[in-house]
Amino acid sequence: LTCSVSFLVSVSEFSSAGGGDCALIGLEESESKHKRGFKQKRSRESCGMGSHRMGEMGLSDSGPTHHHHHHHLPYALLHGMNPSNTAFMSHPDPAFDFGELEEAIVLQGVKIRNDESRAGMLLFLSSPLLTLEMFPSWPMRFHHQQRGGSTDSGSGVNTISSKAEASAHHHHNNNMEPESPISRKAASSSSDHYHFHQMDQLAASNGGAGPSTSSHHQQQQNQSAEKPPNEKTLRRLAQNREAARKSRLRKKLQAYVQQLETSRIKLSQMEQELQRARQQGLFLSGCGGAGGNLSSAAAMFDMEYARWLEDDLRHMSELRTGLHAHLSDGDLRVTVDRYVSHYDEIFRLKGAAAKSDVFHLITGMWVTPAERCFLWMGGFRPSELIKMLISQLDPLTEQQVMGIYSLQHSSQQAEEALSQGLDQLHQSLVDTIAGGSVVDGMQQMAVALGKLANLEGFVRQADNLRQQTLHQLRRILTVRQAARCFLVIGEYYGRLRALSSLWASRPRDTLMGDENSSQTTTDLQMMQQQQQQSSQSHFASF
Amino acid sequence: MYQTESWGSPYVPASGRNGVGSYAGGGDPFERIEQLAAESAVVIFSISSCCMCHAIKRLFCGMGVNPTVYELDQAGDPIAGKEMEMALMRLIGASSAAALPVVFVGGKLVGAMDRVMASHINGTLVPLLKDAGALWL
Repeated sequence: LTCSVSFLVSVSEFSSAGGGDCALIGLEESESKHKRGFKQKRSRESCGMGSHRMGEMGLSDSGPTHHHHHHHLPYALLHGMNPSNTAFMSHPDPAFDFGELEEAIVLQGVKIRNDESRAGMLLFLSSPLLTLEMFPSWPMRFHHQQRGGSTDSGSGVNTISSKAEASAHHHHNNNMEPESPISRKAASSSSDHYHFHQMDQLAASNGGAGPSTSSHHQQQQNQSAEKPPNEKTLRRLAQNREAARKSRLRKKLQAYVQQLETSRIKLSQMEQELQRARQQGLFLSGCGGAGGNLSSAAAMFDMEYARWLEDDLRHMSELRTGLHAHLSDGDLRVTVDRYVSHYDEIFRLKGAAAKSDVFHLITGMWVTPAERCFLWMGGFRPSELIKMLISQLDPLTEQQVMGIYSLQHSSQQAEEALSQGLDQLHQSLVDTIAGGSVVDGMQQMAVALGKLANLEGFVRQADNLRQQTLHQLRRILTVRQAARCFLVIGEYYGRLRALSSLWASRPRDTLMGDENSSQTTTDLQMMQQQQQQSSQSHFASF
Repeated sequence: MYQTESWGSPYVPASGRNGVGSYAGGGDPFERIEQLAAESAVVIFSISSCCMCHAIKRLFCGMGVNPTVYELDQAGDPIAGKEMEMALMRLIGASSAAALPVVFVGGKLVGAMDRVMASHINGTLVPLLKDAGALWL
C-alpha cells in the first residue's frame, strides 16, 4: 500500500507541474520497470519535472514481479479524495493506463470481499461512483454513451463491471484504433449499460437505504462478478493492459514521426534561406573575424580571398613538385607564370572590392591580425618583401643583384609618394570635417564624402605597385629562381598567418594555461612539419 | 605644420612663372597640352586639391626631379582648364573622371599615376628622365 501511495501522489505532482505527458511516461515506465527496478531510468526520463522525487519515493521496490503492481491502489479513491483535486484526473490523457486503475479497483473489491467488512463494501460501492465522477472532462461522450446505450462505451469502469459480468467476452483490443484506451476496453454495450445503471441504482440506494440491503445486493452482484474473477479477469485485464501499452507506443511513435517531419520541413526551409542569403552575398566566412558586420561586398571578397588562399596552397605545391622533379625550364615557366597570374587575380579581386568597400581592404579586415599589424595601404609593402627575399634568393648574378636593389629602391620611392599622398588626403579630410558651423554640416559632409572617395584610388595604386613589383621580380630572376622566390613568398605569408593563430592561442598567465599550451604545442608541431617540408624544397636547392 | 596649398618643394609652379592663366588661353586644348609638354623636361598636369597629384609630385621630388606643374583648377580661364582636363582624359584613355595627374617626360606622354609607377618599377622611368635631362647621375 505504501508503494502505491507514493505512486499516486507522485503522479499528481507530475501532472500538477503541468506535464500530463510526463505523467504518462512515468506511469508507463513504472509498469515495465517493475520488472527491472526503474529508479534510475525514471530520473533519466524526466521532463525536468519531478523525476527525482519519483525516484526518491522508492517506487522500484513495489514488487518483484509485474503481477504485483496491482497493489497500486488508487489510494485517493479509497479514501475519498476529492477527484477534482487531483490534476491528472481532470486531464485524463487518452494514453493513461486505466488498465492498471481498473485492475486495482476490481482487485480492491476482491480484497474487500475477502475481508467481508462492511466498510470495505461501502468503499467498493463508493469507489466505482468515485471513478465515474473522476473524469468530468469526459462528460458528453461518456454520459451520452451511457444513456444512449451505444456500443462504444467510454468507461473503464464499465469494463470492470462488464468484465466481471461477462467472462466470455473477448475484447479485440488490438485491432481497434482508440481515442482512448478506455473506449478500447469497451465491452459490449448492453452489459455496460446495464451495469452502469445498476451502479447508478446502487449509488442511489447507497445513501438512502440501509447498508445491509444494498450491500447484500452488491454482495450478490459482487459474488457473481467475482466468481470467475481471478483467472479470467486477470487475463482480460492483462490483455487490456497490453493493448493500452501498444496504443501508447503507437501514439508515441506517431508523435515522434510528426516531430521528425516538422524538423525536416524546418531544415529544408533553413537550407533555402541559407541559399538565398548566399546568393545575396551575405555568407559570413570565418576569417576576417568581423562576423555580422561585414558588408555584402566585403563578405563576398572574404569568400573569394579564402578560395584564393586555397589556390595558393595548390600553386605552391605545384611549384615545389616542379622544382623537385627538375622539370625543364619551359615546363617550370608555365607553372611560374601561372603563379604570377594567380597574384594578378587577387589584385583584380581587390580592385573590384575597393569600389564597394575600400575600408574593408584598407583596414585589413580581410587578413589575419599579424598581417594586419604590418599592413600597408591594404596589402603588403613591396620594399619589405624585397628585403625579405634578398637573403633567400642566393645565388644571384651581379646584374640580378643590382636589379633587385634597384627594384627595392624604386618601390621604396613609390611607397613614400603614395604614403604622402594619403597623408595629404587625411589632412584634407580633417580640415573639411573639423570646425565650421553646424549650418554648413551637410555641405561639409558632402565634401568629405568626395574626398573619402579618393581612398579607392590609393588602394588601387598600392595594389598596382605590388603587382608591378612581382612582375619585375619575375623578369629579373631565372625560371628556377622565380619558382623558389614565389615559394618563399607563399611560405612567408603562410607563416605570418600561422603566427596569428598561434598568438591567439598562446598560453597566458590566467586560468587558461594548460589547454592553450597544448594548442600552441600542436600548432608549433604543425609549423615544424611545414618547415621541414619547405626546407627540403628551397633551402636545399639554394 | 603641413599645408595643402604650398608645396614647399624645390619646383616652382608654372602659374607663378608664366603668370596666372596665361597657359590655358584659347585654342585647341590638345595643341595647348602638346605645346606645354614640349616646353619642359617633366610636365605634370594636376589639380591643386587632388591628393594623387600631390603623391606624384612627391614621387618626382623624391627622385630629385624638378617637374613643371600646371594646376588646371588654377588656370585663369576655368573653362579652358576644364577643356584641357577632358583632353588629357582622352589622351590617356581614362574611363572614369579621375584623369589627373598626367605626366609628360621629354614632351612624350607617360600617363597617369599607374603608368608612371609601373614605369618606375620596371626601371624605364629613370632612363627616360635622364634622356630628357631631368636627372643627372
